[in-house]
Amino acid sequence: MARTTETIEVGGRPLSLSNRDKVLWPQDGYTKGDLVAYYLAAASVLLPEVRDRPLTLQRYPDGIDGPSFFEKNAPKHLPDWIPTVTVKSEFGRSDTVRFILCNDEATLAYVANLAAIVLHVWTSRAASLDNPDFLFFDLDPGEGCTLATLARVAVALRDTLGEIGLVPVVKSSGGSGLHVAVPLAPQYTYDFCKGFGELVARTLQGRLPSLTTLQRMPAKRPPGTVYLDYVQIGKGKTLVAPFSVRARAKAPVSMPLGWDEVGAMVRKRAKTTEGEFERFTLKNAPPLLAERAALWGGKSWKQQKLEPALKKAQKAWH
Amino acid sequence: MAHAIWSGAINFGLVTIPVKLQTAIRTNDLRFNFLHKTDEGRINNVRRCSLDGEEVTYDDIVRGYEYEKGRYVILSDDDLKSVNPEATQSVDIVQFVDLAEINPMYFDKPYYLEPDKRGRHAYALLREALKTSGKVGIAKVVIRSREHLAALKPNGDALVLELMHFADEIVDQSTLEFPAQETPLENEMKMAMMLIDTMAAAFDPEQFRDEYRDQVLAMIEARAAGQVIEAAPAKAPRRDNVVNLMDVLQKSLEASKKDRSGGSRTSAKAEAEADEKPKKTAKRKSSAA
Repeated sequence: MARTTETIEVGGRPLSLSNRDKVLWPQDGYTKGDLVAYYLAAASVLLPEVRDRPLTLQRYPDGIDGPSFFEKNAPKHLPDWIPTVTVKSEFGRSDTVRFILCNDEATLAYVANLAAIVLHVWTSRAASLDNPDFLFFDLDPGEGCTLATLARVAVALRDTLGEIGLVPVVKSSGGSGLHVAVPLAPQYTYDFCKGFGELVARTLQGRLPSLTTLQRMPAKRPPGTVYLDYVQIGKGKTLVAPFSVRARAKAPVSMPLGWDEVGAMVRKRAKTTEGEFERFTLKNAPPLLAERAALWGGKSWKQQKLEPALKKAQKAWH
Repeated sequence: MAHAIWSGAINFGLVTIPVKLQTAIRTNDLRFNFLHKTDEGRINNVRRCSLDGEEVTYDDIVRGYEYEKGRYVILSDDDLKSVNPEATQSVDIVQFVDLAEINPMYFDKPYYLEPDKRGRHAYALLREALKTSGKVGIAKVVIRSREHLAALKPNGDALVLELMHFADEIVDQSTLEFPAQETPLENEMKMAMMLIDTMAAAFDPEQFRDEYRDQVLAMIEARAAGQVIEAAPAKAPRRDNVVNLMDVLQKSLEASKKDRSGGSRTSAKAEAEADEKPKKTAKRKSSAA
């Protein structure tokens, strides 16, 4: 196929898009143009979520079946209107990493044009990079884990957090799992948040010993369990942004969910979890986005404090 | 008052006695639920096809009768309905026979017939007549869409309708080996009779209890009383690492507060410094997926 380039205007900026007919999802026939179109359609709900968060791109230049790479450092020829944040490299050498901040539609279209299918963001924002503004748990179903088990664990996590006064939000990872987040006032260190996440995860694991595991090595996880991942809380660590597309067949997107929806999954009989979450795709998601955004952001996103929660935990969980 | 199985009538000749059919036997079996050993989740039964291994919903299930090995005749609900006897809600007496004539093995399950207000007089009359005659009514009755043979018997103040087996349900004694009738030796017979006499008593059903049930119930009560706290899901078992973790968190929270009141908050500048220790995660995926 001949390389094509066309210029479109996004947010008042001319942007050249290359190869928009390039197929990124061979089974589904979705192209890079579809990816750009989706991200532009999702911009109004996605941008508030990723704004000022260091962004890591997961790029699939040859589509989802080809090689992919993570790109933290902004490309050399980055247009000068795209803001960045420079952070000392986490590898301890003197060099630094210059992250893209995706704060407007044009930037979103720009990264989509790089075939950056998956957008990974930090849990803190540039104004306060050492203080995450949410605590999150990655519920990762292992082999043989049913949808009902995953949902049971998620509901139990919500209830466990509820006991200490914390109100979480939940979204599909876009893959097989769920992300449960507790929005925070950005005033705690990553270390503290990670410790707090560990406290909650261990408490939940004690309650559902046969449905959950804290084993980090996938091979050692008991089959049929949900891995409670709290170790992704840390500076430089990321999660898949809400509304990000995933590089999987059907092009599923990470979608905010209602707790009533997750509760209803407890009674579903699916043997695996993916099918449930594949119903939100790059193609069908756009009309749902406004409604879905209210489940994660907006009024659902209440910045909470951990001191009273810790106090309650000391009483309730002793 | 118990919920009647149906309200209908006893019919014989031109007489109709309005009655309610009531359960007479309570099933006292202990009911257990199957639970998952490790987390006490209720076990669901899954209907699975033996050919393709897929789970099958009730909508996709039909009844098949295996008329020869591996060959089935399919009967639909409608087929069976077409054969079902009409729910006449009546006890239709077809004859009266001497009770002593009926082999007790034919009796299966008793129900009470409770007279309706309008039928009390006729009910009492039928009961007394049966008592006096020593006879029972043989009747046909439909209960839960199946037609049964039954005997109508006086029993105290009640008329009892006792469902009966059909003759072909009773296993023929000739299919098993029993000794033929013989004339026992007189002495042996005397001894056996004496033995029986020493153990003779008036039958008092109250003196027999289902001891297995009593013992299991006692066990259940003890367990329930002793394990309330352990079984309640809201309380997590105490875990020392959780408790220690809370202490650590408390200290770290206090330390960070002191820091904050003394020094400056984290810079609001975009330029920030990583304070992490070197990590060898260079090429590894570092995102929650």
